[in-house]
Amino acid sequence: MASTGCFIIVSKNDIPIYEAEVGSAAKKEEAAHQHQFILHAALDIVQDLAWTTSAMFLKAVDRFNDLVVSVYVTAGHTRLMLLHDSRNEDGIKSFFQEVHELYVKILLNPLYLPGSRITSSHFDTKVRALARKYL
Amino acid sequence: MADPSASYLGKTLIEEISPVVMVLGTPLVEDSSRKNGLSFVDTLRPFSLFHDIDVPVRTASDQPYRLHKFKLRLHYASEIHQPDVEASEEHLKNVVTRASDVDTSDLRSDPPQIDSLLEAAESESLPSWFQIFNKELIHIASFSEHEAFDHPVACLLVVSSKDEQPINKFVELFDTNQLPSLLSDSIMDPKILKHYLLLHDNQDGALETDIKMLTEMRSTFGSNECRLLTINSAEDGSTDWQDNPWIPHKIDASISQDLGCLLNMDDINEMKNFMQDLASKHIIPHMEQKIRVLNQQVSATRKGFRNQIKNLWWRKGKEDAPETSSGQMYAFNSIESQMRVLGDYAFMLRDYELALSNYRLLSTDYKLDKAWKRYAGVQEMMGLAFFMLDQSKKDVEYCMENALSTYLKLGSSGQRNVTRCGLWWTEILKARDQYKEAAGVYFRISNEEPSLQAAVMLEQASYCYLLSKPPMLRKYGFHLVLAGNRYYISEQRKHAIRAYRSATSVYKGNAWSFINDHVHYHIGKWYSFIEIFDVALQHLLEVVACSHQSVATQELFLKDFLQTVQKLGKAFEVFSMQLPVINIPSLKVLFEDQRTYGSVGAVNIKESLWKCLEEDMIPLLPAARTNWLESQPKLSKNLKDSNICVAGEPIRVEIEFRNPLKIPISVSGASLICQLSAEPESVESAVVNQADNNVDGNSSATVFQNDSELIKLKRSWEQDAGSSFVLSEVDFSLGGSETTVIQFVVTPKVEGILNIVGVRWKLSDSVIGYHSFDTTVLKKKTVKGRRRGGQYAKSPLKFTVIKSLPKLECCIHHLPSKAYAGELHRLVLELKNRSKFPIKNMKMKISDPRFLNAGSLDDMKIEFPICLEKRINSKESIVQPNDVEGSNGLLFSFPEDCVIEGETTFTWPLWLHTSTTGRISLYMSIYYEMENSSNDIRYRTLRTQYDLEVLPSLDMSVHVAPCPSRLQEFLVRMDVTNRSSSESFLLHQFSSVGHNWEISSLPPDGAVHPSQMLTAGQALSCFFKLKKCNDLASEGMPSSTTLHGSDVRLGPHDSEKALFDISRAPLANFHSYERLDQGKSIQGSSNVDFILISQLKQNASAASDPPRLFSHHSCHHRQESKSLIHLLVVGYNGVQETFSHEGCIIVLPIVLRNMHDACVIVVIDQAASQVDVRGTALPSNGNVWNPVKNPREITQGTDGHSDICISFSPPYTQTLTNAIWGSSTPGHLQLEDNSMTRSGSRTTTLTPNTYKASRRVIAWFYHPSHGNWKRPNLARKARFVTINNLN
Repeated sequence: MASTGCFIIVSKNDIPIYEAEVGSAAKKEEAAHQHQFILHAALDIVQDLAWTTSAMFLKAVDRFNDLVVSVYVTAGHTRLMLLHDSRNEDGIKSFFQEVHELYVKILLNPLYLPGSRITSSHFDTKVRALARKYL
Repeated sequence: MADPSASYLGKTLIEEISPVVMVLGTPLVEDSSRKNGLSFVDTLRPFSLFHDIDVPVRTASDQPYRLHKFKLRLHYASEIHQPDVEASEEHLKNVVTRASDVDTSDLRSDPPQIDSLLEAAESESLPSWFQIFNKELIHIASFSEHEAFDHPVACLLVVSSKDEQPINKFVELFDTNQLPSLLSDSIMDPKILKHYLLLHDNQDGALETDIKMLTEMRSTFGSNECRLLTINSAEDGSTDWQDNPWIPHKIDASISQDLGCLLNMDDINEMKNFMQDLASKHIIPHMEQKIRVLNQQVSATRKGFRNQIKNLWWRKGKEDAPETSSGQMYAFNSIESQMRVLGDYAFMLRDYELALSNYRLLSTDYKLDKAWKRYAGVQEMMGLAFFMLDQSKKDVEYCMENALSTYLKLGSSGQRNVTRCGLWWTEILKARDQYKEAAGVYFRISNEEPSLQAAVMLEQASYCYLLSKPPMLRKYGFHLVLAGNRYYISEQRKHAIRAYRSATSVYKGNAWSFINDHVHYHIGKWYSFIEIFDVALQHLLEVVACSHQSVATQELFLKDFLQTVQKLGKAFEVFSMQLPVINIPSLKVLFEDQRTYGSVGAVNIKESLWKCLEEDMIPLLPAARTNWLESQPKLSKNLKDSNICVAGEPIRVEIEFRNPLKIPISVSGASLICQLSAEPESVESAVVNQADNNVDGNSSATVFQNDSELIKLKRSWEQDAGSSFVLSEVDFSLGGSETTVIQFVVTPKVEGILNIVGVRWKLSDSVIGYHSFDTTVLKKKTVKGRRRGGQYAKSPLKFTVIKSLPKLECCIHHLPSKAYAGELHRLVLELKNRSKFPIKNMKMKISDPRFLNAGSLDDMKIEFPICLEKRINSKESIVQPNDVEGSNGLLFSFPEDCVIEGETTFTWPLWLHTSTTGRISLYMSIYYEMENSSNDIRYRTLRTQYDLEVLPSLDMSVHVAPCPSRLQEFLVRMDVTNRSSSESFLLHQFSSVGHNWEISSLPPDGAVHPSQMLTAGQALSCFFKLKKCNDLASEGMPSSTTLHGSDVRLGPHDSEKALFDISRAPLANFHSYERLDQGKSIQGSSNVDFILISQLKQNASAASDPPRLFSHHSCHHRQESKSLIHLLVVGYNGVQETFSHEGCIIVLPIVLRNMHDACVIVVIDQAASQVDVRGTALPSNGNVWNPVKNPREITQGTDGHSDICISFSPPYTQTLTNAIWGSSTPGHLQLEDNSMTRSGSRTTTLTPNTYKASRRVIAWFYHPSHGNWKRPNLARKARFVTINNLN
């Protein structure tokens, strides 16, 4: 399990619709904005990279010091972004795939407006469980 | 790609990698120069750059080429060493600080927009101080021993003509130990090109002696190397330079006006010539020559296959040598140093091919020797050479990467070179439009630098991201923030703010909340550090309402915000502050025009309910399509789109406030902002006024200029405060995440047009928040939708204030909030007229008259409950409950002469009867007209609403059964249960309603339930006899015309208490409503209603209170019976008969009563009857009734549905001899519905005896439409007939 991690889902309008601090490290107040900064800046890279490949998993696209940003782009251009400091690429890939599945289930909910914030607590617990499993 | 030498880097390289001339001068030389405010080097510096020197150069190859641009770097010998770290850092700091003063002058202006930034970036107008800073940074790494291009190529020895023995001075100058370490430590060739200059200061005298001296010098040092330079030829300070050549070179701030004031054009020309000669005739040829010599040596020792093998072999042997990165491994005469010198000279003379080939050789050597610093330096130069040759990107990148990583590996000793190398690399990348990569390099080198340099590097990186195609704005923003952070650490606050401010344009309006909070919070804080509080507050305002942050962060933000406000020293005013959040759709306006409200509850009732209630009370106006105003064409235009309110009457506005934070906040002095303009002169001006307002409204909705809006609100606040209207101020505090509804009141005092524009409040006693009510939003909402459906959408916040009108205030006394079911109360309605004008023509309507009823003034005269009691002279009190029936009994008109004068009160009794349990809402609307109806409003309504809770008390049910022995009498069983939880009730009276019914107790003179008491939960049954007292003639009259009834007292028989009169109002009224409520009124007197009157058993403490009366009504009871026809044979107890003649004829009357609704035909067959002889004293043979006829078959037809046939048929065929039946009525009887008839039955007997007329069977048949005959119900009636012999 990685010591630091921040998982975020960004809608196609570049709005974060789900945020979760994953990882064993104690949550730090000041880390929250730093993680957002890094992930937000990485969107620039994702924007370039996403159209160069047909794969959804873009692997590590950006890094800031020892923090790496891995990205998974869904067909609807929703981006699942993970900020992490571990090197477990396979685990990250599996994590992304499973979260993608969860996300699709959220999308199937007729009461969910695509692009709005995901508030489902079920989704949240599932994502955290997946993070514990794979990262 | 463009010519690399034309790029910025190319130009820089030509300037930076150029021959160094070491200057050695005597103090007197300096003195002469100082007169111009310049050092000697500075005096010459402007002339050391040649834009078109046009010198032919021939290096290793035989092909000469020409140099155009050329530069000599002049340095004092004392400067030729590695710069001191701290001094240079200080120097850099100065550069940055100076830039911050220049660059951040516009801190108060709005942050740059992203579009303008992009434009600026494309036109390359980035902050110019970056270049200066970069140059300084590169200079820090200069004069390193591992590189040769900083080593002096020539030495310029300068002696003033005033010096004694100048020849000796020249020698002394060079021989002293003050030579730079590069020379003294034999890192470079001490045999350096020397040039001797004799400086003549024209102010000190004539030239003659100097020329003599020059010839002496020439003879000593050689004719070519000596020169005389004359300066300070101008008159005192006369030279005024239009275009001072020194100013661009003086980067220090102290630019004095008299730079070069003593130098005239001749001096300058002389200096120019001197420098040009020095470069073209001495330095360049010297370098050419050296290149050629060195090249020969290198070719001899290193080039060619043999040399390479040898070199490899030889190098291998040296592998054991100690690994030193920068040690004195290579003396100036070693082949490596010479190759380096050769390469650098070639580079300086722009023979990049030659340079490159040497660097290549050298790099392998250094690599083998593990001389990493030198290796890196060579790699760096290779990269530059590749760039200048415009060769493949790959090579450049490979070399630069190599150099950078090698420098990085060296640690602290290579740190400065890292920066320089990185800067060059970034310039290379920039020149090739690889901005993204350049940014990456900037970021890499920023990690190695102290925070200030890092900040500048990061900022440059951010600009690279901005310049990359497509622009990477998010990276740009991120790096700006990083840079700002570093700036802040190195105490460059203005730079920090500048960086963050630029970043805000990227993050503006995005949903990444933590980023926004961070940026705004820091900008705000830093602004407050540099004491620009207003801007600081603008930014802090952005973060102060952050609901997503933790409690600690929210507290911090709020604390900083409030502190900054305090530092501002004056009231801080904010437009549409988000703390607390105002929920505009929740806005509710409560006002009174012709509709006034008596209670809070009444306001919240739906308008439609009121309208329904007032429907037939308020006068209808002709053509009143939408509202009554349209009938007044003069005012309609004005009033149509605004609400009407009355001067002096408050308008209430309810708004919901929400605290977005998790910490409590306190708000004080919250009040509305209103504008009250005077009554417009004419309709037109009003329209114009209105149009203006509309325009304003629109612009505020679309453009929404915060500042102008704020000013507008503020002005209207200051202008009107307290003059023409009164505002309420509310203080409240909101806990974490709390929502509360606040009611504001504004009371206009004069006529005019009132606009409620916004709301104003004070947060924590320091921040004044303003919020305007955006009317366009409100219009869409249904805000307390008065007059909905009007054609014109009105602003709910715009009012036409009209002249003050009388207004009634209403209050109901003695209204309980809790009551038991059935309770009867006398209430007093008090109407108060506070105005001076009288009020007339009042009407009242009550939503449910079952509960509340208007009484009459008489009710007030006598105390309750005595007023309800029966009075002896009850003539006058017969009240026909006629007003109950009219208009559903809802409308009550006060008497015509009822006028409430000004400032008086008026009371009227009301009766309350709580007939059902549960929560009851009573609505009451009082209509009244004004005496002086000159105004727009001629009438008003007062609406009140009351809630009361009704608890269960007694539960009464009545069961009526026909009396078996009497046709007109019924048995009544009353079951009563006390359903209350704790109270006891005293039963008082049980009454039947209607004058044709009479109720009495059973037994007739006994007391019913003497104790009267019914405790909680107790149930009781009482029996009564009900008698129909009127005969058949009174039937068919409507039973509801009068409510006369008869009463039975419950309790002790001899009670003194008076009975209550149920035939008068209000009991009679309530009873009739109960009747209506309990079911459809069924015509006919066969229905009977009962009223139970009881009292609450009161505690001893409350004995003085008036008794609480209850009345329970039970209506529409019918006499129940199973049979369709009642037959009663009236017998006799004794008949005296003499038997003087044949027999005794006895008439037995038969009363038949049809209990059915339909007409019935009854057939009485007398012959079928028989009489039993009861007695045994008489002989059995002589006293028997004899049938005359045999039982007849039932023959009647099938002609009617409801025909019913009755016949008497004997069960036995036993014959009776001594009694004969006869009939006085025809065999067929037609019985109307619910009617009675009498018939006679005659019998004759011969002997005295007691006869029993039983065993008489009445059979009746129901004849349905299908002709099915049903088994008859059998009813047996018996009477004894006793016939006594009188003899």
